[in-house]
Amino acid sequence: MNWTRRVGRRMDALLRGDQIDRDLEEEMRIHVELEAEEIARVEGVAPDEARRRALVAFGGLTRYQEEHRGVRGVGALEQSWREVRQAVRGLMRSPGFTLAAVGVLALGIGSTTAVFSAVNAVLRNPNHDDLAIVFYRGFPSLSTVDYRAIEEQQRSFSVVGAMRRGEAAFRAGGEPERLQVARVTTGFFRAVGLRPVAGRLIESRDEPVGAERVAVLSHAVAERALGGAAGAVGQRVTLDGFAHTVIGVLPPSRELLIAQVDIFTALQLAAPTRRGPFGMAVVGRLTPGSSFESATRDLTAISTRVFDLWSPTGGDRTARYEAIPIRSAALATPSRMLGIFGVAVGLVLLIGVANVASLMLVRAIGRSREVSLRAVLGASPLQLVRMFVTESALLCGAGALVGIAVGYLALRALVAIGPAMPGLSTSSLDSRAVLFAAGVAVLAGIVVGSYPAVMLLRKGHVGLSSGDRTIGGGRGTRMLRSGFVVAQFALALPLLAVSGLLVLSFVRLQQVDPGFDPANLLTVRVSLPTGQYGDSTAIAAYWARALPRVREVAGVRSVGLGSSTPPDDFGNSNDNFNLMDRPAPPGTAEPNGPWPSADAGYFEALGVRLLEGRMFAPSDTGVAPVALASRSWVRKYYPRESALGKTMVRGGCTECPPTTIVGVVDDVRYSGPAGPLDALYSPVVENAPRTLFVYIRTATAPDELIRPVREALRSVDPSVPLDDAMSMNGRLYAYVAQPRQWATLLGAFAAAALALAAIGVFGMLLYMVSTRRREIGVRMAIGAQPRKIVQMVVRSGLIHAVIGSVLGLAAALIGTRALTSVLYEVSPGDPATLGLATLALLAVALVACWLPARRAAAIDPLEAIRHE
Amino acid sequence: MPSRADLLQGTLDLLILKALVLGPLHGWGISKRLRQISGEVLEVGQGSLYPALYRLEDRGWVTAEWGTSDEGRRAKVYTLTADGRRQLALERSYWRRFSAAVDEVLAAT
Repeated sequence: MNWTRRVGRRMDALLRGDQIDRDLEEEMRIHVELEAEEIARVEGVAPDEARRRALVAFGGLTRYQEEHRGVRGVGALEQSWREVRQAVRGLMRSPGFTLAAVGVLALGIGSTTAVFSAVNAVLRNPNHDDLAIVFYRGFPSLSTVDYRAIEEQQRSFSVVGAMRRGEAAFRAGGEPERLQVARVTTGFFRAVGLRPVAGRLIESRDEPVGAERVAVLSHAVAERALGGAAGAVGQRVTLDGFAHTVIGVLPPSRELLIAQVDIFTALQLAAPTRRGPFGMAVVGRLTPGSSFESATRDLTAISTRVFDLWSPTGGDRTARYEAIPIRSAALATPSRMLGIFGVAVGLVLLIGVANVASLMLVRAIGRSREVSLRAVLGASPLQLVRMFVTESALLCGAGALVGIAVGYLALRALVAIGPAMPGLSTSSLDSRAVLFAAGVAVLAGIVVGSYPAVMLLRKGHVGLSSGDRTIGGGRGTRMLRSGFVVAQFALALPLLAVSGLLVLSFVRLQQVDPGFDPANLLTVRVSLPTGQYGDSTAIAAYWARALPRVREVAGVRSVGLGSSTPPDDFGNSNDNFNLMDRPAPPGTAEPNGPWPSADAGYFEALGVRLLEGRMFAPSDTGVAPVALASRSWVRKYYPRESALGKTMVRGGCTECPPTTIVGVVDDVRYSGPAGPLDALYSPVVENAPRTLFVYIRTATAPDELIRPVREALRSVDPSVPLDDAMSMNGRLYAYVAQPRQWATLLGAFAAAALALAAIGVFGMLLYMVSTRRREIGVRMAIGAQPRKIVQMVVRSGLIHAVIGSVLGLAAALIGTRALTSVLYEVSPGDPATLGLATLALLAVALVACWLPARRAAAIDPLEAIRHE
Repeated sequence: MPSRADLLQGTLDLLILKALVLGPLHGWGISKRLRQISGEVLEVGQGSLYPALYRLEDRGWVTAEWGTSDEGRRAKVYTLTADGRRQLALERSYWRRFSAAVDEVLAAT
């Protein structure tokens, strides 16, 4: 038998029941008409009489209509459908409750799905499962020596690649710009797992020193500068003054390691003469049989051989290579923050569910009369349970549907304005997250929805007169309702505590003294292309022309040059050194720290004081290298004596003349707000870095000078890329942008949690007051003061808030420990913050309790007693 | 007037199928033909025709379509399908065996 057709017809009958009924009615009407005509014709009776007889012969229209419906076999389904429609009507009758419940659930489900989708996109990329990056002394920074040795001797990776990051002036016809460049080996793209969308990637023929200069562009650069991926291949672009041929374009990927890279060129490795320089990232794709642990063992054996061989040119002989999962290397901070964020939204979802649950209980109790009436009129207990469950399931289903839409929007918003995280932009709403969140909500809805009805069944009777108390006064119900309210407070407190800690941390971050006055300070980055500025003479000539032009700009007070910009540019200028009077023992690491280049104007423009010795002088040309040390550097290395005149050898160099310390300056932060303050400075002319920041102390608002300063520099050489023109305050602001974002986002969640908890206790008390009207009225009639009534109601509400807060406080004390590494100068158990969070929660609870209490006190005793 | 026999359960389906063998009919037409065939002995409660028709349609033995009757009226016309013909043959043979069995039982006493 063709059951699919029958199911189809059943569904049809269910959905178009009205239509089928109308059809049948007409068919029957025609039948009766024809029969009546026949009777009139054959027996010659009047039409009325004929019609009457026809109806009798037919045997009752309604009866057969009912029988017809029975045959259609839609009973159970049709009943469900009727229940759904009934529930919809019920919900429509209280639009406020429905909207609030759907909204709360939708927000909870939406934000949870958005965050879990982001987590999946960022942290669960299967491409990263077996991708390792090699660490040396805790950093993914290796040298040519290391890479060559690993490439030749390793047995754990199917492919190994290296990348060296840098910057270069890029020109493709239009304005010059400074772009992020990565020089990579052939294996790099294969290890990371990238294929070109056009052309080819770097191949071994590009790697020999002196091979034709080729470039692979990121999708964004190909689109922006060369009008698209397809047309870009074969074009010539200028990179640092040298012509390169574009050989390929990458897909629009936010893959780890290359997310910020604009252009790739071949890493052409000359035979190394010493152990350094470091700064090269080496990645490998594990072979199917190996693990990160086995790869580390493999690499350890290699490091022993390599370090012994190269130990005369520096390096720590006891250090080892380690194969670190790319995920933990590159995603430590995002995963920690996403974890905290995920817990936060999960808490909001739970609070939301508890909130809706308590509202539903209140509502169900409010409907006890209706339920009693239905029971008296013959509704079976099962039907009553179904009524409640249908309604709450419907509510939660609607919440889930709206929640999915909210989640979609929230994810888009997170991608658009949230913290930058690799892989986030490609994330889409994760179906498992949607199912999970919706499942939680619907399950909770069904449980809560069925609860009042189950209570009814257990009682075994439903009487009209006692309707109010059968459900409302039940001890179990009261406990459950209280439990939901307490849970909301217990869940809200950790959220408040976390957001409070993050805000405090953010405030402390902003209060950090960078070591100079950031107001009225402008910075511009100038990157001299290698082509035109091949040596230090050309670089010095450029600055000899450029600095006077900048000084002439109206509003400029002083101008200086520096290679490293506070507050967190330390990575750009780190170097190691060997103190002549205290050399590092052979085979151990030399000391290391920020060592930027600067000129005397730098200290003047930033307002950094000279504490001892002398400033850089024009005579410091590099023949006899000199350096300035920061106050903290001196405290660290020469705590008991003057550092003036101390000498050291820089960067593991064996033949270089030693550097002499000629002066001591005040501290400036280069290593982030929590980092150490030790630093050394070399005169700009010594190393002649090609990329320098110009620091301009201005008389007016620094932003107003951006344009004239750029014009002044452009008039010297229009082919030099200028970028990152920014006030120092803007730079400091940008530095705390991410902590600010997290604090804001979590603050929003905490506010939502606070509001929900308040609504929860408010709704409960409002209900309590309305059910105890009579009791309150009696109390007042026998002389209770309104003040006493207010106290009574507020007390019963606050008890919940206090119990919840105590539980929440305990949870917060344990939970906030996870924040330790993201907090700046704030302890995760900071008593002031936790106390303040608790107070805030209780204060809000007090207001939420006071409003219903006032209503209770305003009850007119006479009317309340008469009401029953 | 001969006495009317109560319709045996399930027989109505068989009779409707039989009525439709000669050609498509609307509801009233089926009821009229049934009365004609049975010589007014089998009186079908006319209304009970419709649930039965729905059931037959459900099983795919007849198809129904709104059309025009011989009298030029709008009516729902039922047509026997190939499945319906097979079913009729099946039910007819079943009915013959059944009535033969009943005859024998009655003859035995």
